[in-house]
Amino acid sequence: MAAKNKEEKQVPAPPSELVQGTLEMLILKTLALEPMHGYGVALRIEQISRGAFRVNPGSLLPALSRMERSGRIRSEWRATENNRRAKYYTLTATGRHSLTAATKQWEHQTAAISLILEA
Amino acid sequence: MNWLKNLRAGLRSLFNKPSVESDLDEELDGYLEAAIAHKQQLGMTPEHARHAALAELGSRNAVKHQVWSSRWESALDNLFQDIRVSLRGLAKSPAFVAVALLSLALGIGANTAIFTLIHQVMLNNLPVRDPGQLVALGDSTNSGIAGGVDVGQFGLFPWYFTRQLEANPGPFQGIAAYGSFAQKVTVQIAQSSGAPSNATSLLASAGLVSGNYFSVLGAHPLAGRTITPADDAAPGIGAVAVLSFHFWQNTLASDPTILGKTITINAMPFEVIGIMPRGFEGLKQGLEPADLWTPSTMQPVILNHHSMLTPGSGLYFMNAFARLSPQATANKGALAQTQNWLNQQIHAAILANEGAAPSPSRQQEINRETIPLIPATRGVSFLRSEYGDSLQILMAVVALVLLIACANLANFLLARATTRQREIATRLALGSSRARIARQSLIETLLLSVTGGLLGLGIAFGATRALIAFVSQGSTHIAMSPVPDPTVLLFTLAISVVTGILFGLAPAIAGARTEAHGTLSASHRTSQGGGGKSSRFWPKTLVIGQVMLSLLLLVGAGLFLRTLRNLQRQDFGFERTQLLLAQFDAKLAGYTPLQTGELHQRLLDRLSAIPGVRSAALAGSPPISLGNWRSNIAISGYTPAPKENVNSILNRVSGQYFETAGISMVAGRPISPSDSANGLKVAVVNQALARHFFPRSNALGHWLTIDIGTVKGPWQIVGIARDTRSGNPRSQNQAMMTYIPLLQIEPVGPPPFPGADPATREENQDRFAGYILLRTSGDPSARIADLRAAVAAVDPHLPLLDVSTIDQAVSRTISDDELSSSLTGIFAILALVLAAIGLYGVMSYNVVQRTSEIGVRLALGAQKRDVVWMVLREALLLLAAGVALGLPLSLLAARLVRQQLFGLKADDPFTYAVALAAIVGVAMMSAWLPARRAAVVNPVDALRSE
Repeated sequence: MAAKNKEEKQVPAPPSELVQGTLEMLILKTLALEPMHGYGVALRIEQISRGAFRVNPGSLLPALSRMERSGRIRSEWRATENNRRAKYYTLTATGRHSLTAATKQWEHQTAAISLILEA
Repeated sequence: MNWLKNLRAGLRSLFNKPSVESDLDEELDGYLEAAIAHKQQLGMTPEHARHAALAELGSRNAVKHQVWSSRWESALDNLFQDIRVSLRGLAKSPAFVAVALLSLALGIGANTAIFTLIHQVMLNNLPVRDPGQLVALGDSTNSGIAGGVDVGQFGLFPWYFTRQLEANPGPFQGIAAYGSFAQKVTVQIAQSSGAPSNATSLLASAGLVSGNYFSVLGAHPLAGRTITPADDAAPGIGAVAVLSFHFWQNTLASDPTILGKTITINAMPFEVIGIMPRGFEGLKQGLEPADLWTPSTMQPVILNHHSMLTPGSGLYFMNAFARLSPQATANKGALAQTQNWLNQQIHAAILANEGAAPSPSRQQEINRETIPLIPATRGVSFLRSEYGDSLQILMAVVALVLLIACANLANFLLARATTRQREIATRLALGSSRARIARQSLIETLLLSVTGGLLGLGIAFGATRALIAFVSQGSTHIAMSPVPDPTVLLFTLAISVVTGILFGLAPAIAGARTEAHGTLSASHRTSQGGGGKSSRFWPKTLVIGQVMLSLLLLVGAGLFLRTLRNLQRQDFGFERTQLLLAQFDAKLAGYTPLQTGELHQRLLDRLSAIPGVRSAALAGSPPISLGNWRSNIAISGYTPAPKENVNSILNRVSGQYFETAGISMVAGRPISPSDSANGLKVAVVNQALARHFFPRSNALGHWLTIDIGTVKGPWQIVGIARDTRSGNPRSQNQAMMTYIPLLQIEPVGPPPFPGADPATREENQDRFAGYILLRTSGDPSARIADLRAAVAAVDPHLPLLDVSTIDQAVSRTISDDELSSSLTGIFAILALVLAAIGLYGVMSYNVVQRTSEIGVRLALGAQKRDVVWMVLREALLLLAAGVALGLPLSLLAARLVRQQLFGLKADDPFTYAVALAAIVGVAMMSAWLPARRAAVVNPVDALRSE
């Protein structure tokens, strides 16, 4: 755990300045729709955010590896539409729970922050 | 279960790194391809799409590294990598590794060996329930049969008194007793066929114990049952035996059916009722622990001695111990009350022995008698009292040696760190963290120290075996083992790690402090070599410390060696060359006291006929031994003052004893073969006795009586022999000694009480001689085989228990001095060698570092002489500083061990002079070689190398 936390700090902030600590939540949300490979996740985040967030592989792949280790997602090799092998990530039950929890916490926090900013 | 999956995945990727790597590569390829395909869809040319995707990906290796380090196994992998790098680095300097491992193995091995002994002799608790509650009654390291003393003196008690305490333990949970010594007995074990003729006969040592011994001790049997009060109920009953584990294992081949069977001890059948677990040796731990235990009621059979189990018996042979109540263990007040109660019992017992009402002064004396309660958590051990001090000194000595070795290694590593500054600076410049560099440096030293520790374990095993062999003096089974137990292994691991940190920390910090810039520039070497005073601070400090500690060890070794020499060279009063001693026991072979006269004569005839034997004699005890036969004596016409010490060591000897032992007569005549049973009863006394009783007159012709019924006398003093050292060679007080002729000791003892039927008188056990003495014309050890053959020719069943030369017997009495002096000597030399290596290393390294400076000096016209002096002066300064610190330290330390010295003071000038000369000589030698090398530096080469 300790090592993991340390490494988390070392992950450089993506160029598009993703809010700190939200990457994993976004990945979970993305994978909640359907299993996807790495680039698919990056692309989906970029598209849904209308280009506001761009996730580079240097942070995406470690995050996926970390989440796979902690059991929130699992992976399998599948054929892509171009008939190549790619690693597809799927949300697990644990992942679904932690997505719900993270979403709740996020809403709670943003609401609080909005209150402060609007005051 | 997630962590379990995580662990499994981590381990898999750790052991299968290539496949993890290729998985990652494939995933990245897929990622790239998807990105390119997507960008082409957006309308980019394949070329552009490719470029853009690659730019987004960034450094492929960086991504892989980030993925890898997001997993826990990466920390482990880094560690392995550091170890690999360290091993590679160490492999590049095999000489350094060899020296480091050798000094570490020696240092750690010595520490482990001494600790193994200390652990076994001094730290092991008894393997029983709540050992902290056990106390010995008085100093139980004494053993033997005493007469004419007060109850409890020397920690010895009469049987009837311990019986009373057993029955009524007062505030104690229980009081138990045991025979103060383990007696050699003949044991016959019937073979499986059961026919007695098939029995094997062997010698074993048997301990007598009270019925509650095992229950008070809180010891449980491995199998069967222990001795109970019912076994020990009355004299003559209870022919049962409990076996020790090693006896059961070694002699009976761990026969599981032995319980309930019968073994014969001294010709009497005993039922085997139990086996004690491994490691149980009873409360008293001697060199040779008991092989078996029997109830104290079996004393006449086991000791082959008339019964001492009578009320009012004047013979004291039991040690006693007790289990305190929990309150008395925890609370000083309750302990004092317990002590009080015991003192009252002792006073009552002494009073009962007085007979008539004592005088008021005697009454006061009795009231002051006390038997101290001595903690027996670790049992009672002769070894602990004998070798405890020596072992503690040795532990300090080996710790110092290890410190010196550490200082050496720290110096080597500092030197290496300096030469590796470029490498370290390069690594820092390439982005390695300082912590990682310090960690790798520490891993390197830990690898060295732990490997050294492993080798040290091997050395320790051998060394411990040798030490135990030395301590055991040839005993067959001894209670110590060189095999390290978990505590010892833990100790070794701990000192290995501490050692590694000790000598590795300074270099690690120094390495990590390296500045990335500057070090890489070309002019760096000059600044390091010329002005880097601070960089040489640590090496110098370490060398000063080494000189200091080496001086301390040299002084210690000198003091102990001179002590040993003083002990060995002192006048023992008897001739110490060409004398052979043999201990035998005719009782074990079944001889009765009445038969001894004839047996002794036959032995003497045979022994004196051996070629190369000048004379032969028999005696109750040898000229020098740690145990002795002693009693109060009285001289006719002499009234001793109250409390006057009239105790004399006694010896019973054959004719020609004085001639054989080489004890010269000062006046009168020695005991001679013509002093026969029917002749006038004669005695020879030593000078001390004559001086004590007859300071101004002649002792010859006076009559002497001994306070032991069986040898009461009166004896007429016919000769005065020279004083001899009979026991501890350190003792300053010359003991009084009385010699009486073996032949003149009455065949039967006195009547048990005045006016008893003469038929009830028992045969006199004091007629047995215990030792053969042979004065030879050549090397005494060359006659050992002849001696054995001669004894066997007289009676093949007569057991010879021990054969040794007088030198061996003397060294036995000073074995603790031999141990500490020889080992301290060895370690001091080791320390000196290590310090020399250290000084040489530092000075050579300095010369190498200053090559360019020396070159400039020479080019500018300095003489070779000046250069040599420059190097030597630095070494001399270090030496002077080390000596200045070491001398007061040595004086202080010598003060601590002055109890161990003999015949010299703690500030013995000769010892200090020799130690100083040794350290100065060795230091100058190790500085001279680098200095000469400095003198032959070629200025041109030195400057070109810049």
